[in-house]
Amino acid sequence: MPIVFVPMLGLLGVVIAMMRRHTTVDRPAEDVAERLLRWGVGLLSARRAEWGQAMLGELDHIEGRARRLRFALGCVIGALLLPPWGAAAAGVGAMLALAGGAVAVFASAVGRYGLGDGGQVGVGILLVFLIGCLVAASALVRRPGVALPGLLGGAFIALVWLSLSGFTLYDQIAPDIVPWHPLIVEVVVPFAVGAAGALWARDAAVGRRVARLAGVSAGLGLFLYSTVAVAVLGAGGPPDDSGTVSAIVSDRLGNNVVMLILLIAVTATVGWGGAAAAGPIVARLRPTTDDVSGPSTSRTVVVARGLRLGVLSAIAAVAIVLAFTSWLRGH
Amino acid sequence: MQRNRPPSMQAVNVLRALAAEPARWRYGYDLGTEVHLKSGSLYPILVRLADRGLLETSWEPGVGSRPPRHLYRLSLAGRQYVAELTAASPDRTVARPHNRWSEA
Repeated sequence: MPIVFVPMLGLLGVVIAMMRRHTTVDRPAEDVAERLLRWGVGLLSARRAEWGQAMLGELDHIEGRARRLRFALGCVIGALLLPPWGAAAAGVGAMLALAGGAVAVFASAVGRYGLGDGGQVGVGILLVFLIGCLVAASALVRRPGVALPGLLGGAFIALVWLSLSGFTLYDQIAPDIVPWHPLIVEVVVPFAVGAAGALWARDAAVGRRVARLAGVSAGLGLFLYSTVAVAVLGAGGPPDDSGTVSAIVSDRLGNNVVMLILLIAVTATVGWGGAAAAGPIVARLRPTTDDVSGPSTSRTVVVARGLRLGVLSAIAAVAIVLAFTSWLRGH
Repeated sequence: MQRNRPPSMQAVNVLRALAAEPARWRYGYDLGTEVHLKSGSLYPILVRLADRGLLETSWEPGVGSRPPRHLYRLSLAGRQYVAELTAASPDRTVARPHNRWSEA
């Protein structure tokens, strides 16, 4: 497993170097409050964009760091809750259902297999972590152009994980010992999702958000499924020498939590690299100010449409191949 | 569909503060300070009031590099609404602020 982190860290280094090379310093300096508020107003729907400008305009007239920060923080909370949510509400609702279901199944397994006070504390920690994930996801799905590719990316990642590990409950518990699987699920797929997100939206920043959302949504879905597997099979399934039934179940639930955290962190990090790597292609696809109304604009749109179609086709092809391979292995 | 639920106490406070000088344009931060509302409560209220047509908004042009500033005052419908509100419940005066989770 540690060998997987070598390409990841190498990739991270390359990305940081690329980002530093492309960093420009022509914007005036912003304080924390203004940066926070600019991020927050980005969550508002297009219909509420004027209110975001109103908040920014007001912040500009507030003196004092603490006062500015309080104002910005309040505005961000307001922006986060302010309707309309549109299609984002469906995405958040789906992830809420996954997280709620996972906590409920996890808590029932803790009670059923008598994991004691330690298990109860585990449920509490899990609950707090999942609430954090949901808050982050609810902010991400409201960003323009993130929800659909992010959720599709999450479904793709989940499908690849299941294709490689196997689709049954037994497969969710059995350790995956194929040496090249971690390279696929922890490097290739997240990288591809980040790059595809950037190409889809023709924006590297959107690609990074797509990767984060894909990580959270895939993590929640796979965590629910693997927790259901533990709740159903208990100490059954593949042989385990952890000791008592409680110890085996506790060990398996712990593995699922580690998988959840790892999946989100790895997808966000490596996907960020993928989005950054797609940056030069994205920059070429974007129409410049000189050719906005020219004939090359329509050519760019056609190229972008073709690219989106290509990305979708590639995802579908990989998913079909993986599912077929998994099916063949099962027979 | 726009639902016209009864306004919260905070919204009533905002309406009454605006009604004190109905012709005057107000800044958001000053309004929030006057009615003891944090920005996270104030802006959703202002948005709802504007959606219901009770509030007029305008922009004060920015000076130099400063961004334009949003201004608020009651619309004619807003003034009538406050008058009706006062007639219906004259005792519902500007009260001390209270926290409400939905308007945090």
